Amino acid sequence: MKGKCYIQGMAAISPQPTFEGDIFSAPLVHTDSNLLACIEPDYKPFVPGNSLRRMTRVLKMGLTTALKCLQESGVATPGPIITGTGKGSLQDTERFIKEIEDYKETALNPTPFIQSTYNSVNGLIALQQKCTAYNNTFVHRGFSFENALLDSMMLIQEGEPHTLTGAFEEITAEHFYIKSRIGYWKSESTDSRELYKHLSPGTIAGEGAVFFTLAGTPTQQSYAAISGFKMLYKPVPGKLTATLKNFTTHADLIVTGRNGDSNFEHYYQELDNCFPDTPQLPFKHLCGEYDTAGAFGLWLSAHILKAQQVPQQWFSMFNQLPEHINSILFYNHFYGEQHVMILLERV
Amino acid sequence: MEELKKKLKEQIIEALNLQDTKPADIDDNAPLFGEGLGLDSIDSLELMVLLERQYHIKVEDPREGRKILQSVQSMAEFIQSKQPA
Repeated sequence: MKGKCYIQGMAAISPQPTFEGDIFSAPLVHTDSNLLACIEPDYKPFVPGNSLRRMTRVLKMGLTTALKCLQESGVATPGPIITGTGKGSLQDTERFIKEIEDYKETALNPTPFIQSTYNSVNGLIALQQKCTAYNNTFVHRGFSFENALLDSMMLIQEGEPHTLTGAFEEITAEHFYIKSRIGYWKSESTDSRELYKHLSPGTIAGEGAVFFTLAGTPTQQSYAAISGFKMLYKPVPGKLTATLKNFTTHADLIVTGRNGDSNFEHYYQELDNCFPDTPQLPFKHLCGEYDTAGAFGLWLSAHILKAQQVPQQWFSMFNQLPEHINSILFYNHFYGEQHVMILLERV
Repeated sequence: MEELKKKLKEQIIEALNLQDTKPADIDDNAPLFGEGLGLDSIDSLELMVLLERQYHIKVEDPREGRKILQSVQSMAEFIQSKQPA
């Protein structure tokens, strides 16, 4: 990677109480329904009521998270807006498809059609903030957020002072059912707090919206620097280990996307073998599994680096953590296909 | 006619998800767009769909639509004119 980029501000709506207050004292939210749903805030302070009435859940979550992130970063009008989403607004898509069938392709509501497009959240942010700069949404399954991040870093390299970069995903009952039919979720009811003890096929579902303000220069309020980044698609045996070993820079902590899915556990075992002495923190018991869960992992890693502490109440099952955390290696993959490694450093 | 207007107001509130509005808040003759309820162009499409689904009336001419969707009163008059005597 040519140069670093810095996380200047961030916000998250997730199944944990992450939107407001101090995450280091927020309680751990858990479930045994195999589905971690977001805790939604009051949207009215962020979005005018007349606009809210038309929006479905993920649009409200995405837009509000983006606005909170800008507010936290002190940026009034964003420059480029770059996001990633695997599925976009599922609620709108499902409603639109159902109406095609119910009304025999006639008399279709325009709103779910318009909002089912993946770039709706980006459009809403730009409209509300009157931003006419670069605006792009990446839809690449488990690489959606990562491509948004890569695009943002390249823009910063080219001289953009800052970008608004994020990801959003929602789970619906319909989508949960469809994915359960192809073995995405565990067949047995699993307590999310004990996810890593239940090594069996499938994992637990999740959702969330996370936004970052990225910049080319650090300030006192920077959370972390992104100093290394690598994506691998369906790595052949040995390729993952070889790539992980390239991150030989000493990482004090590894944040991993481990999710209790025995079908893909071998990838995390490769990680264990590469870094046997580095403590690891898995995060999927907090947010569940979804295409852009990596954004939540990055958000958590940046918080840990800035605060120099781990939200202990969320990780009571782990007790060996380093005193000083100067760098974090983040590793995640999406059902064995899209793998990402990000190196974060303390600013 | 009064019954039709009351029903129409309820249908508009539901179709457009006007959460804080009650049928009594909508004046029969107040403009639906701009002032009044402050609806916009997407709402006008939603109202066209409402007419088609609930009353089986398809508005083919957009210029005609502008007149029909002026107020609850104009919508109700249009619906009544299309209903069999």
